[in-house]
Amino acid sequence: MNVLRRLRNPVLFNEWKMRMRSNRSPWLILFYLLVMGSMTLLAVFFMTNGGSYYNPGETRELFMLLSMMQLGMIGFVVPGLTAGVISGERERQTLSILLTTNVSATRLILGKWLASLSFMTFLVFATIPLYAIVFLYGGVSPLQLVKVFGFYVVTMFAAGSIGVLMSTLIKRTGIATVVTYALAFGIAIGTSVLAEIIREFIRYQNRLNQVASSPMPIWPDLLHSLNPVLAMLNIFGEGPYGSLRGLVNRQSLWANIDPFWFYCIIYGALTVVCLLLAIYFIQPVRGRLRKTAAEEQ
Amino acid sequence: MIQIRNLCKSYGKMQALKGLTMDIEKGTVFGFVGPNGAGKSTTMSILATLLAPTSGKAYVGGYEVTSHPKEVRKLIGYMPDFFGVYDNLTAEEYLDFYGANYDIPSAQRKQIIPQLLDLVNLSHKRDAYVDSLSRGMKQRLGLARSLVHNPEVLILDEPASGLDPRARIELREILKELRDMGKTIIISSHILPELAEMCDVIGVIEEGNLVAFGRVDEIYAKMQEQRVLRIRLTGRIEEAMTRLREMPVITSVTREGSWVVANFSGQDEQQVELLRELAVAGFPVAAFNETVGDLEDIFLEITKGVGS
Repeated sequence: MNVLRRLRNPVLFNEWKMRMRSNRSPWLILFYLLVMGSMTLLAVFFMTNGGSYYNPGETRELFMLLSMMQLGMIGFVVPGLTAGVISGERERQTLSILLTTNVSATRLILGKWLASLSFMTFLVFATIPLYAIVFLYGGVSPLQLVKVFGFYVVTMFAAGSIGVLMSTLIKRTGIATVVTYALAFGIAIGTSVLAEIIREFIRYQNRLNQVASSPMPIWPDLLHSLNPVLAMLNIFGEGPYGSLRGLVNRQSLWANIDPFWFYCIIYGALTVVCLLLAIYFIQPVRGRLRKTAAEEQ
Repeated sequence: MIQIRNLCKSYGKMQALKGLTMDIEKGTVFGFVGPNGAGKSTTMSILATLLAPTSGKAYVGGYEVTSHPKEVRKLIGYMPDFFGVYDNLTAEEYLDFYGANYDIPSAQRKQIIPQLLDLVNLSHKRDAYVDSLSRGMKQRLGLARSLVHNPEVLILDEPASGLDPRARIELREILKELRDMGKTIIISSHILPELAEMCDVIGVIEEGNLVAFGRVDEIYAKMQEQRVLRIRLTGRIEEAMTRLREMPVITSVTREGSWVVANFSGQDEQQVELLRELAVAGFPVAAFNETVGDLEDIFLEITKGVGS
């Protein structure tokens, strides 16, 4: 009973209540499903040549298209949903009141984070019927579907935790939102850019040392697999990591790492770090730094 | 109940509190008064565990606020000088949310909330959305919110600011009820008369220093010793002012047209002597009035308006 009481998070329940009560939520759900449904049906229309015939071999492509669209929507919506959770409280002038209650910084941050992500999770899972179109024709394994939805959850949690951290550190919701978008896209695209720079640098060194025939190490490509788009392609065996896998030494430890799990571990770690920092920085009186939330307001 | 020892707070080069020291006993209604920017809200934020002092200590119920914030939060109910609202929550749900934040079981909350709404005269607004309430009602709801966990100490930062006279009177009545319930209340304002009616003890703060502290009647009696004499002369005004400045019972002299305004700190006999001296010296005194400083004058005299 005590454990259950400890797990109860009034901030989370309150956010759920307020979010689902607002007029905006049903419109947002409608808009999201309308966009996803329209795009899917449009893709089906073109794939069936205007409804004349359907090539079952193209099911996989439809599934990939649907998954990519969903990923794009997540990238577009999640920073906006999360970057205002703490700064919004601050702007509404309710944060200082909350901080004088028994609610711990951990419960406050986790409550806000989970509340905003649970709505996005709801949106994502509301699109499952669209995936039924794909299953109608076959060509995609249930494991791939599970992996794709697992991938969404991991990506949402990570992008959401960046949003919550920025919302904690930055006073204004507008600025926090812009910074969150910049960071989320920076991390996603930056990993690929960094991977290419490293690879070119290795090539340059090999040329200098005249060892051009030596195989390219695979670890820079692991950075590539941190790019959500490429990581999504990896799930379908289409990513750069998968194609390069055959070119490297199979004895290498890196070559045996599943890029999906690598992505999950790295983004999971990013989520934990961002949340811990947010929990630390939201505390009004912080042990060693002696800097306070009220000073920042 | 509350001890503050040599409390200092700096924001960069600006010193908001400069070694504040005071004690507030249990069951006291303490009025914290001072001009804007004097350090009232800073002190209250420190007591509410929202701010760490640069140096010095503050204790609530024996707990030091920075090392035992959890224990302190259980003892205090804090109401800031603004009222943040959640859209889409009714007055009852608003209180229920904060009750849950204090880990009060649901069944107990169901009992407490109607009582609190009744205390602040908002029973009829139980199902009204918070953002639809008037400012006065929101302030009262905020007060109910700060009482939801039955704290021993209430910290109310300018609760009457922006309220119309009726709402002020209603708030004052509620505070009287809370005083009767034995709560220790710290209430701040930059308007001294507003506090004098409901407080037992008053502390006047200016530029981070406590410039006066004591029971309201003591401060009032002390400050009444300072009288203002208004003397109208038909001539030789500058000469009369010079003569007045030489008298030890006169602390300051100013001129307002044909009137000379002198701050007098003596007794009635000395006042009689002063008037006689002016007459004997042949000054053309047309009028001689004495005014006793009201609370506003007292406040202005104590704070000297430096901080405003």
